[in-house]
Amino acid sequence: MLSSLAHRALERDGLGGIRDKVLASERITEAEAVTLLEARDLAALGALANHVREARHGDLTFYNRNVHLNPTNVCVATCKFCSFARPDDKHASEGYTMSLEQSVQHVVSKRALGITEVHIVSGLHPDLPWEYYLETVRRIRQAWPELHIKGYTAVELHFFAEKFGKSMEQVLRELIDAGLTTIPGGGAEIFASRVRRKICDDKATAEQWLEVHRTAHRLGLKSNATMLYGHIETLAERVDHMARLRDLQDETGGFQVFIPLAFHPEHNMIGKAFPKPTGYDGLRTFAVARLFLDNFDHVKAYWVSLGERLAQASLSFGVDDVDGTVLEERIYHMAGATTPQALSEAQLHRMIRFAGRVPAERDSLYHVLRVHDAQAPVPATA
Amino acid sequence: MKLRAAAVSFLNARPLTAGLAGSPLIDLVLAEPSLCASMLEAGDVDLALLPVGALPGRDWEVVPGIGIGADGPVQTVVLAGEEPPEQWGEVFLDTASRTSQILAQLVLAERGLSPRYTHMPALEGLSRAVGPKGALVIGDRAFDVDKKVVLDLGREWNRLTRLPMVFAVWAARPGALRPEDVQELARGAQVGLGMRTELAQQFAREAGGDPERYRRYLTQKIRYGLGPHELDGLEAFLSRAALAGLAPPTTLRFADDVVRSRRIRRAVSIDAALQKGADGVRLDPDEAEALDEKAPLLELGLAADMRRRALHPEGVVTYIVSRNMNYTNVCTTACSFCAFYRPRGHEEAYVLDRGQMARKIEETLALGGIEILLQGGLHPDLGIEWYEDLFRWVKSTYPAINLHALSPEEIWHIARTSQLPLDATVDRLVAAGLDSIPGGGAEVLDDEVRRRIAPLKCSTDEWLTVMRAAHLKGLKSTATLMFGVGEDSRNRVNHFVRLRELQDETKGFTAFICWTFQPENTRLDPSDNSAHAYLRVNALARLVLDNVPNFQASWVTMGGGVAQASLHMGCNDFGSVMIEENVVSAAGTTFQMDSEEVERHIRDAGFQPARRNMRYQIIGQA
Repeated sequence: MLSSLAHRALERDGLGGIRDKVLASERITEAEAVTLLEARDLAALGALANHVREARHGDLTFYNRNVHLNPTNVCVATCKFCSFARPDDKHASEGYTMSLEQSVQHVVSKRALGITEVHIVSGLHPDLPWEYYLETVRRIRQAWPELHIKGYTAVELHFFAEKFGKSMEQVLRELIDAGLTTIPGGGAEIFASRVRRKICDDKATAEQWLEVHRTAHRLGLKSNATMLYGHIETLAERVDHMARLRDLQDETGGFQVFIPLAFHPEHNMIGKAFPKPTGYDGLRTFAVARLFLDNFDHVKAYWVSLGERLAQASLSFGVDDVDGTVLEERIYHMAGATTPQALSEAQLHRMIRFAGRVPAERDSLYHVLRVHDAQAPVPATA
Repeated sequence: MKLRAAAVSFLNARPLTAGLAGSPLIDLVLAEPSLCASMLEAGDVDLALLPVGALPGRDWEVVPGIGIGADGPVQTVVLAGEEPPEQWGEVFLDTASRTSQILAQLVLAERGLSPRYTHMPALEGLSRAVGPKGALVIGDRAFDVDKKVVLDLGREWNRLTRLPMVFAVWAARPGALRPEDVQELARGAQVGLGMRTELAQQFAREAGGDPERYRRYLTQKIRYGLGPHELDGLEAFLSRAALAGLAPPTTLRFADDVVRSRRIRRAVSIDAALQKGADGVRLDPDEAEALDEKAPLLELGLAADMRRRALHPEGVVTYIVSRNMNYTNVCTTACSFCAFYRPRGHEEAYVLDRGQMARKIEETLALGGIEILLQGGLHPDLGIEWYEDLFRWVKSTYPAINLHALSPEEIWHIARTSQLPLDATVDRLVAAGLDSIPGGGAEVLDDEVRRRIAPLKCSTDEWLTVMRAAHLKGLKSTATLMFGVGEDSRNRVNHFVRLRELQDETKGFTAFICWTFQPENTRLDPSDNSAHAYLRVNALARLVLDNVPNFQASWVTMGGGVAQASLHMGCNDFGSVMIEENVVSAAGTTFQMDSEEVERHIRDAGFQPARRNMRYQIIGQA
């Protein structure tokens, strides 16, 4: 229930109409989403988003135990916001490509840590054969049958289809046969073509990105969706991005979670002109995403990008998922992230509990594996 | 029933015991060091001020926070002889203390020496320490040792390890101490340490000798804190003793010191209390405590934001360009939560010289800075003249600089070391150039917490007394809270209420700032020190401290994003552009922002940035 203070604040801000729609479970418009982003009343916006979050999930806050696998950072795309990609495998450019054995070993070596998911994202390598990608999935599946394999962003999948002369359906079917279970939400950036032309004009377009997910959903795969915010996009372009996701979700119902990702400025081409978006920008974006994306179950804050403190604060601004233990993250750390390489489960619990929430370990399909109810003592720091 | 305790009658123990006279909880008997240990073993007492050499092989619980040690020369534990130690074939060990026996052997072994050791009472040993023979002498009789060669074992230990030496701690039979008893020992220490001048005079009357020499011994030689560095020193001593086969291995165990008393609280409606707070109606302690325990973050935030809008309707968020200058990191309080301080003799111990300070101030001016926030440790050797000279130099060399200097703790310390009344101390500092006072060192203004995390710091009353004195002389100050140190709602609300009472009286606080305890490189486990807790406590403070005009966001500890959120939950000021910060960053926090970045955060959060001075007057609209 929305408190009387929240009502007072929203009325004062002229947001009574939007509030009424939210409370009546009516969909808000793109213009209203922009109004909320511009509202400059973080506490009231948070209260409204928190109302929706608690109505959906109560205090449950989801996380998983996962490991990241980035088999190569060699990439033919030249995204201006990226600090991870390298043009080739040569030592001088710090490019690398893992052998199949290395990739499998990287994942399997984490078995003792109770990992339930591997998250695979790569560069768009000019020379690797289709078998490499297929075999990566197949061998991990063979080595660890019960592990959930979330792999290859829509941008990579689109690249595979074009490079190897396959239909998207064919690409996905072969990967599913090899053992793929869901698709990560990366590569979405900002859908607006004005923005894409400027920051990532040589990879999948918005339509292509959406088409990959549409196809995946049709084949029964669940997927996630991201948005890279805080660079050159306008607030209206952010909302447009979310609107396209909302439309596709109406059509397929295949998205599980929306993940706003903060642009990180270090070691990439647009970082000099655009500083890292502030925490305020992140919190209002989470809150508006929660209010606007009424057909998405989950909104995730990626602690690697936000830092633990802001990620924790986001749990009062519409967020119900903090990603996972994230062993061995590379992409954000190469863009200057100063967060730890991984958080222990105890650290995640502490963060969640101290936000007054209840940690719930989930699998990759958001089945709850275990609720760590609040009766247990808060774990001490490591 | 009172706890039975034993302690030595040595001069250096008196500051820990004198304050226990008439204690309702503890009955004290005085005895030789070795006797203290045997009385504890025999069960004649539950608690003893024990030489640390008596810890190995026992499961005594050590009282945290206080002890007797030295971070350099100690004067009262010495090896003496007529020839250099290299010539000694035999050393007579004073039988009165096993600790000093071990220390003497460790120090000589480190020099590659292994004379024959013979146990013998000190006076006899000393008289026989002629020719190639040395003697260990401890206690007050060591003051008067008259030998050609005197090896001060405090200094020798410090040279060997760069760590302080801890000679004695309060130790108790397991389970004998209640947290209240631990607090009573800390209270006693606080009282006794404030009486060091009198104790020195009293000792001179009893034993003869120069009272000033004894006073310097108690204030400048002996250290009474048991902080992270002292514990490092103690552990090094115990492990070296074990390695050398002089004692069994020891793991320190500490007595529980968390008091959990409760106040009977009437039933409070959270909603009604939030409405009151939002409307600027004064909250009573029951309401504040209930909100602290139960109100959701955003509800506190909404109410605090309404207060902020009422007090600062312009939508301006101010900040100042100032520089932290920590003139020394040498400190005698040895607080368990502090990662900044160093004992004397530590390789990283420093006192800034004029050249270093000049460079820092000039850099500050070049960056548009108008203020120096001058704070430092409680250095036992710096008297008021040092501060007066420094202030006069700053003011005459850099007249544009505002001196926001010396937390109440430091002023109290200066008054004590210089044996001056508080009022006179403040007057002299103001005359030398002091402009305003930072609110640091408040930690949690509830002695139940202070005695646990900072037993040697000034008490709540003393902190407030300094602030009152300063305010009454027209100085402005800020007020702070550091939380997440295991305190509870009641402790935090007590803190707010004490500040609010003083503010009603003086109106001298310009701003409040809180932050969470940063635990890295310290010996204290944090309680909830999360960003969520920061935002809640800050918002609650905005509601309770209805008479404090400004609230600073703590981006240094929380990061810019959480600080921006706090601007929507009670804060109207973004603190200072940090040109330098040493204290919190020593404990692991390293957020940095220049003025451009500060202004970007303020604007992005929906406010108009403006530069201010320490009185919160706007000096330039961006």
